Amino acid sequence: MLTEFGKVFAFILTAVMFVLIAVFAAKLIRPARPTKEKLTTYECGENPEGSPWVKFNIRFYVVALIFLIFDVEVVMLIPWALVYQDSGMLGFLVGAIFLILLGLGMAYEWRKGDLEWARPKITPLVLTKTEPPEEKQEKELNLGE
Amino acid sequence: MQIPIEYYLILSAALFMTGIVGVLIRRNAIIVFMSIELMLNSANLTLITFSSYLGNSIGQIFVFFVMAVAAAEAAIGLAIIIALFRNKLTVNLDEINIFKW
Amino acid sequence: MNIDSIISDLIFIKPEIAIAATLVLIVLVDLISPKSKTALPYISLLGIAIAGVFVVQQFGTAEFAFKTSLSSGMFAADDFGSFFKIIVLLASVFVIFFSISSSEIKSVNDHLGEYYTLMFGMILGMFFMVSASDLVLIFISIELLSLSSYVLAGFVKNTVRSSEASLKYVIYGGVSSGIMLFGISLIYGLTGTTNLYEINSIIQIQSFPHITFLIATLFITVGLGFKISAAPFHFWTPDVYEGAPLPITAYLSVASKAAGFAVLIRFIKITFINSIDHHGNWELLNIIDWRSIIVLLSILSMTLGNFTALWQDNLKRMLAYSSIAQAGYMLLGIAVLSDQGLTATMIYFIVYLFMNLGAFFVVMLIANEIGSEDIEDYKGLGKTMPFLGVTLAFFLLSLAGIPPTAGFIGKVVLFIALVDANMIAVAVIALLNTVVSLYYYVRVLKNLYLVQVDEEKPVIKLSFANGFVIILLAAPILIFGVYFTPIVNFAKNSINILGF
Repeated sequence: MLTEFGKVFAFILTAVMFVLIAVFAAKLIRPARPTKEKLTTYECGENPEGSPWVKFNIRFYVVALIFLIFDVEVVMLIPWALVYQDSGMLGFLVGAIFLILLGLGMAYEWRKGDLEWARPKITPLVLTKTEPPEEKQEKELNLGE
Repeated sequence: MQIPIEYYLILSAALFMTGIVGVLIRRNAIIVFMSIELMLNSANLTLITFSSYLGNSIGQIFVFFVMAVAAAEAAIGLAIIIALFRNKLTVNLDEINIFKW
Repeated sequence: MNIDSIISDLIFIKPEIAIAATLVLIVLVDLISPKSKTALPYISLLGIAIAGVFVVQQFGTAEFAFKTSLSSGMFAADDFGSFFKIIVLLASVFVIFFSISSSEIKSVNDHLGEYYTLMFGMILGMFFMVSASDLVLIFISIELLSLSSYVLAGFVKNTVRSSEASLKYVIYGGVSSGIMLFGISLIYGLTGTTNLYEINSIIQIQSFPHITFLIATLFITVGLGFKISAAPFHFWTPDVYEGAPLPITAYLSVASKAAGFAVLIRFIKITFINSIDHHGNWELLNIIDWRSIIVLLSILSMTLGNFTALWQDNLKRMLAYSSIAQAGYMLLGIAVLSDQGLTATMIYFIVYLFMNLGAFFVVMLIANEIGSEDIEDYKGLGKTMPFLGVTLAFFLLSLAGIPPTAGFIGKVVLFIALVDANMIAVAVIALLNTVVSLYYYVRVLKNLYLVQVDEEKPVIKLSFANGFVIILLAAPILIFGVYFTPIVNFAKNSINILGF
């Protein structure tokens, strides 16, 4: 009989065999016509513009952090869910207080504006009145050209 | 046949050591944080192992709390890294050295 | 354990409930009227006052709350816990006063709501820490304290100094809590329980793989040593203390250290006790030589703290090293392993609360005006700010342990406890350390008074309220330095740890 580890090993072996067979079968069957064109990178069929290593907007991190907290705090509900039927109304209240506190945190973030997606400030093409007059003339000149 | 308990413990000790070594030798703050998470999770593995081995549920309940704590710690750590990055434009711990002896 | 017993046990955690309710209230107030921040400190003070009333009411109770078996529970409501809760509350009151007049905190006025919320998070964590008798609760409450203090250390987030302090704190704290958790998981595996009392009854009758248990306990000691900033685990202390806003530095150096000490004492005494004789000496189980470990930590802390403080130019950083050294003195009281030593540590804590907070407060007021904590910038300030100069000198002399102050009483009680336990060599080392510490405290005084400066020094104005706070801090040191019976009695009456 197989041991527990033996079963796992059989799984691993099968998985590896699958991949190897598929790859080698493909290698045997497919036609091989290498060209230089096939080695170039492309984005959606276009030639790439610049490096892919760009900085993401910091807002992604903030949303991710908030998500992380709320996602994991909910794990506390699992042990509660197992026992609350035995403990009646009080048990329900305990869970409710926990959820209310979580909701309070959520409301706090919302109110503080951490869930707003800060749009990048659009540099105004139309000149505002606050700018000093000399600069204004210069820019108008530039625009004119 | 069951997998003996030693296997789990050795795995978790190995994870713990990986975490410690990672904290000591890596210089990128985010990777250091990943190493700290690894340490916490190795302790989680030990707790779950013993909980199943001893047949009592304290360990499993504790793991829930540790998971929540670990998430909070990761969130706070990342937030602090972002705050520092805005000031210093680096997350390399060797360059974060205003304070000396 | 059913839900009704949990609900009925809530009366034992009334102070904690008051603190948690205040926390929620502050969040709500900040949510409803985000513009007005002036009410927040007063709401905080009110919450602390209510919690204080509950703590004082609780003196004399000795009960387990949240029982996990017939004879033990997660939370021990006893006099020992109440004593440290009072220390924490007093420190919180003073730190709120500090925050009101701190220019660093004023610069982040928009986030004052978060500031007080996180501060109450710290208080809640410390309250549960000092009463926790279960490793699960110890871990969670330490994390609650740590997570709040990480953010507070970096609260002035537009300065590099503050965020760097915060990052270092998170990394050191995360590593030490990871090590501690691994130790807890091993102890759970060896004994099958996380309750300190049950662990004690199990290790009394059963034998274990000795080395595993030793390592697990040392791992837990690492986590606790980090919180009290004892020597091999102190690396975060100078950086965090220097970078954090000054009220938070003062808070970390007093309240969070007190809570760490309470957990350490409870952990050692409950888990490893075998019996207590009628003199109050603790006879520990012959598993771990706690006395050697603590004496080692203590001597390391004292020596390293004092000698490194000698060449610090930043006063905040110097006080950080001095607080490491003070932690060393307080560890000596635990190393005696008797009720007398414990009393000495607790007396020292009362004194330390006032003198350390006082020193930090005066440094903060001066830094508010001259914008620097550099000792060189203090030259000649003794003439332009007579009151602040005298009180700073007073607090520093008390930290050094000069006779008319309460710091002297604290040290004398400690040394008597050491001599009574025949630990003469340790007492001599501590005494020599005190002499070394005198040098760097006096160096500040020399700059204040004896150095002649030609340039004009700024006149530092002191508001009436701040002067009153300083007097509130200085008066106890002066009074207890002469008439010390009340604090000795207070400490003696509150050494009752539940179960013994």
